[in-house]
Amino acid sequence: MALFGAVFAASQLVVAAPFVPRDDAVVLETLPGKPGDPAAVELRRLRAIAATAPNDPEAAATLARRYFDLAMEEGDPRYVGYAEAVLRPWPETAAAPADVLVLHGKLRQYRHDFPAAMADFDLALKADPANFAARAWRAAILMVQADYAAVRRECALLAEHVGELQAVACVAYADATTGNARAAHERLSAALARARASGIDPGVELWIQTRLAEMAWRSGQLAQAERHFRAGLGLGFNDNFILAAYADFLLENDRAAEVMPLLKGWVRSDTLLLRLALAARRLKLAAGDKYARTLGERFADAALRGEKLHLQEEARYLLDLKDDPKAALAAARDNYRTQREPRDALVLIEAALAARDPAAAAPALQWLEASGFESENIRRAATQLKALR
Amino acid sequence: MKLLLYVLCALVALAAGVAQAHKPSDSYLTLRVENAVVSGQWDIALRDLEFAIGLDANGNGEITWGELKAKRKDIEAYALSRLSVHADKKSCAVAGADLLVDEHSDGAYAVLRFGADCGAREPATLEVSYSLLFDLDPTHRGLLRFERGDASQTWVLSPEKPSVTLKAGEASRLAQFLDYLKEGIWHIWIGFDHILFLVSLLLPSVLVLRNGTWHPAERFRGTFWDVLKVVTSFTVAHSITLSLAALSVISLPSRLVESVIALSVVLAALNNLKPVVAERRWAVAFAFGLIHGFGFASVLADLGLPQGALLLALVGFNLGVECGQLAIVAAFLPLAYALRKGAFYRKGVFVAGSAAIALVAAVWLIERAFDLKLL
Repeated sequence: MALFGAVFAASQLVVAAPFVPRDDAVVLETLPGKPGDPAAVELRRLRAIAATAPNDPEAAATLARRYFDLAMEEGDPRYVGYAEAVLRPWPETAAAPADVLVLHGKLRQYRHDFPAAMADFDLALKADPANFAARAWRAAILMVQADYAAVRRECALLAEHVGELQAVACVAYADATTGNARAAHERLSAALARARASGIDPGVELWIQTRLAEMAWRSGQLAQAERHFRAGLGLGFNDNFILAAYADFLLENDRAAEVMPLLKGWVRSDTLLLRLALAARRLKLAAGDKYARTLGERFADAALRGEKLHLQEEARYLLDLKDDPKAALAAARDNYRTQREPRDALVLIEAALAARDPAAAAPALQWLEASGFESENIRRAATQLKALR
Repeated sequence: MKLLLYVLCALVALAAGVAQAHKPSDSYLTLRVENAVVSGQWDIALRDLEFAIGLDANGNGEITWGELKAKRKDIEAYALSRLSVHADKKSCAVAGADLLVDEHSDGAYAVLRFGADCGAREPATLEVSYSLLFDLDPTHRGLLRFERGDASQTWVLSPEKPSVTLKAGEASRLAQFLDYLKEGIWHIWIGFDHILFLVSLLLPSVLVLRNGTWHPAERFRGTFWDVLKVVTSFTVAHSITLSLAALSVISLPSRLVESVIALSVVLAALNNLKPVVAERRWAVAFAFGLIHGFGFASVLADLGLPQGALLLALVGFNLGVECGQLAIVAAFLPLAYALRKGAFYRKGVFVAGSAAIALVAAVWLIERAFDLKLL
């Protein structure tokens, strides 16, 4: 922890002015992936193949898929740019192959352009009605948009092309968010147990363990949630989603001290840096202020580009770290226009509470009523907010 | 195998610059025009250069200063060929001058210093076209900052918007002055608390206090003199504190300032209902005008003050406020004078109006002092 602090402090001491290094041997930048490591070798191979076959959509799609996976693992958006460039010869039209359209959709949703992503997945399904990846991603986006009836329709269509586990997982995800977390948890756990017999892809298992953890958490089964989180983390992947979800779980259950070792080394990810900052603030650590300041710089950088991809995190930062309820509310409202997951609703309601502006959180309160979402946290905040009126 | 892969990724990620962020690709391009000389500085991420042209000569996963220096000609050729600068539609020859290094939030950047030969005359406009990395990464953005004299403006260059026309030249100082003048006028017109304070103090100008009651003034000369005293005192006072605050000589917490401004409106309006001060309203205008000045200063701070043209901005903004003020007074005075004898003015505008102003300002006072939102 002390070493981490020292490294962090040293990075802050770097003067923001150009300089001439004193020595030719000074290392300026360490590239992601050591040259010998298998991932880098694989990437170079795929790049070479795509370069020599510029008209081959398969080669391009394989390379783009690898870039996208790297973007998800590392939380590094440059890879999304590289993937987009690779797919440029096959723009998002009906003429493009289904696999390429699915990739376009994934890249679009990464940058939160949900309408364009849905359009891409639609085109993919027109070309290939059995394309379950497109179907699953549509369901995922509809969950973010809180359109649960549409989600269930997609799940029904998905079930025609996938095994039991994925079909159950799709529906269970919707059920858990609409007031049936306990039942959804039981059904999905059972399906997972049954699927073990024929082997499960670790990536799929990671997603399922994360969802199971959330379901158990919501239905008050905290020890069970803990087990699921540990199982998911134990699969050995780098995954922003499960780390963020587990950190939120620890923070909500007054276990902020455990967040520090969990997220050590993840300062480079905006979403995880937020959780680190919240935990450090909770524990009154000196690092809390440094983390908060770095977060502010990240959001300022994004504003320079004119991008707003992390509005939920920015709203939370403004509310809990900068104590600026008005700005937090503005960010939360802006965020809620495109993203309506439970966390988005929570930050909107809490910001409206702090800014004493109940009307601003009306869409989130409506969602809470309509969905029947189970969460002590959100319900308590909503009750306090309604009492303000 | 996959597990090993992911563990390796995690270890490498840990080692590779713990404190550095991941963000999409940006380059930072600054263009400067000073006395007909066009120069610039371009910060390009080493990661991006590595991806585009390769920098890691010995393939050990690290980029050293030596490796970067060795590639200077290639970097300049690559980058400068993707930047075109035209002055008044004539092409400028761009040449690299120096290579340094800088750190940004997501890693180390090569800093290219360059000059653009645009001829001997000072250009009126600069057209910039940018295409760095768009072919390899359409999410790359060129963050352009254009500095002329002491002013600067920023643009985001993207594949969708790769060019921009910049206005350079002498006209800039006048244009800046006019900009701040306009802002001054605008901000007094939307500054209802300032306006209501002034109006409250001026409502009695067309009246005269005799034996505790208000009577219409006999002659315009008295009214005019009274208005002049009040407006001038207010103006002098807020100009003083606006300047002091804008030059960072004095600074007051904004919640205090805003609350006292609201209080000043309440008192000025209440004074019309129960006269405490009649002849010396100009003194009240001066005293509270000092606080109003701090209110204007915070607006000016939000607009941003160019460090070198500080005085220009300050004078422009202040003059704008005075112009806006004068316009309001010039509209109010003849009307009030004409109506001063009627009950509409004496009971309606003066009494009921002052009461309404006092009420609204009281709400403001509560909102601002206790950080609430009632209206």
